Amino acid sequence: MSNPFLTPPAKPGHGIIHLALLPPSTPRLRTASYQYPLKLVSPSPTRLEDETRCLVHTIYILTYGGGLVAGDSIDLTVTLEHTTRLILLTQGSTKLFKSPSRELVSKQRITVNLAPESALCYLSDPVQPFEHSCFEQSQIYNVTVPSFSAEHTASLCVLDWVSSGRPANGENWSFRHYGSRNEIYLCFPDGKHRLLLRDNIMLDDQHLEGSITDRMHGLAVFGTLVLYGPLCKALGQFFVDEFKALPRLGGRKWDSGSESGDEEADAAMIKRFARHRQGTIDGVLWSAVPLRGCVVVKFGAPTLEGARRWVRDMLLHEGSVVKNFGERALLCLR
Amino acid sequence: MTTASLHALLILSDSALPLGSFAFSSGLESFLAHNKQRHTNSHARLTAFDAFVEQSISNIASTALPYVLTAYDDPTQLEDLDNDFDASTPCTVARRASVSQGRALLGIWERALSTSAASTAPSQNAAKECTAFALAYKSAKPDAFGLQLNGHFPPLFGAACSALGLSAEDTAYLFLLNHAKALLSAAVRASVMGPYQSQAMLASSKLQACIRACIERERGARADDAAVTVPAMDLWMGRHELLYSRIFNS
Repeated sequence: MSNPFLTPPAKPGHGIIHLALLPPSTPRLRTASYQYPLKLVSPSPTRLEDETRCLVHTIYILTYGGGLVAGDSIDLTVTLEHTTRLILLTQGSTKLFKSPSRELVSKQRITVNLAPESALCYLSDPVQPFEHSCFEQSQIYNVTVPSFSAEHTASLCVLDWVSSGRPANGENWSFRHYGSRNEIYLCFPDGKHRLLLRDNIMLDDQHLEGSITDRMHGLAVFGTLVLYGPLCKALGQFFVDEFKALPRLGGRKWDSGSESGDEEADAAMIKRFARHRQGTIDGVLWSAVPLRGCVVVKFGAPTLEGARRWVRDMLLHEGSVVKNFGERALLCLR
Repeated sequence: MTTASLHALLILSDSALPLGSFAFSSGLESFLAHNKQRHTNSHARLTAFDAFVEQSISNIASTALPYVLTAYDDPTQLEDLDNDFDASTPCTVARRASVSQGRALLGIWERALSTSAASTAPSQNAAKECTAFALAYKSAKPDAFGLQLNGHFPPLFGAACSALGLSAEDTAYLFLLNHAKALLSAAVRASVMGPYQSQAMLASSKLQACIRACIERERGARADDAAVTVPAMDLWMGRHELLYSRIFNS
């Protein structure tokens, strides 16, 4: 029998989230424990409006001071039981404060264990590394597969993005070191693991002769959106289709002017053109890649607001994030 | 260096080796197309290309070199490395380039090089693993998750170099130099620079220093630690598909 009282993990920065399933179908937050400097806040769960009437839990991952001071280390373990759904949110961008030396690295590690048919939506605010900061984070998703088949697996919709710092203070990718790793592992019934997807970015001011600014080619934000599993399938397909429909570079723009065909274009097409226009104004560069059952969307933009608007518009227009997780899932993108 | 390993080195660095590397620009063509407004004259284009070469070498060194060297050290891991490299390359165009060159290398190995493996024990072992991989690759079928052997280039290159008796140092240098050669050749054909200028850049001490620095940086890196160091490279590569007209495959 499990202990009904919270037993906080002993180490600083450690946290545990355990979303259990009370039979037959009531998800319950069994554990949400944390230690300074980590703080977890869980508002009451929301019930979806659709026919599933699914209960979706939400947890805010907070840190004191809104970020990580040099040497801070966060280690969060999340366990999602069968069919449970969780939204992870942050409250404002995660600030990374300056580090006195290259050796003092702040770390954040999030490990998520997903049982079959569970789902995680982690659309956070961007990470904001200040001048001279040193930071590494890893997000590891262990997806348990029920049998040797791809059906009934868990679903993932996770966003990992980083901004150039505080532009108002003249910061433009002025940190010392930033590393972010996202990995999805398939865990088979026989105990074996297999790497399904890895997205590992490492920016270090000593790697190349030029500054990190030169390497970013005028982008103020760079991000990766990873989509996996049955609940995110439609969304992934939407990104892939939209990417294919982007206007060709160096081609003629035949759609300018008012030709007779325009009136027949359906509503979806009109919206798509509007998004393309806004995307061009905001200078969003993106690509969507279907691989190994996942869809990976990479994007960059010269302004943070442009990128935020683009991600939100895409997710809102497709609609399945709101449908499967509720409106709260998009709070960080407002 | 023995004459035997020098011989193998020269063969693997020869542009006549039918790997098809000349068909790929590693994002250069897309980079030029995206920045047309910014690079108004040929001088601006050349300066931008200069930075691009360095960034591209740095990025290929951080993403692929650990795989080359891990496969060189332990060719028995070839299949796992192939899976992990496949999982770590979320870019359609880069995957296409890697798989197509990897397959070409497998073909060359089977038809031409397999009989010329060096006689030392590690080389014989690597040769055995290359042949086994080539065999497994032919009968590879996707499993329930749609995963299968892909034949990615970097691990296979490492194993093949080991089989032919090259040193680890030479293997790393060769891998990056071949990348630089492909880039510079693409630059000539994309009319960024002339052939003499391209050779001058290839021979320059700046390029040598860049390659050496990248090798030094990746020394001892495990394949698990391979990372993208120039994220914009992924965008240029990924968006190559959007070019209205293109002369390269990547």
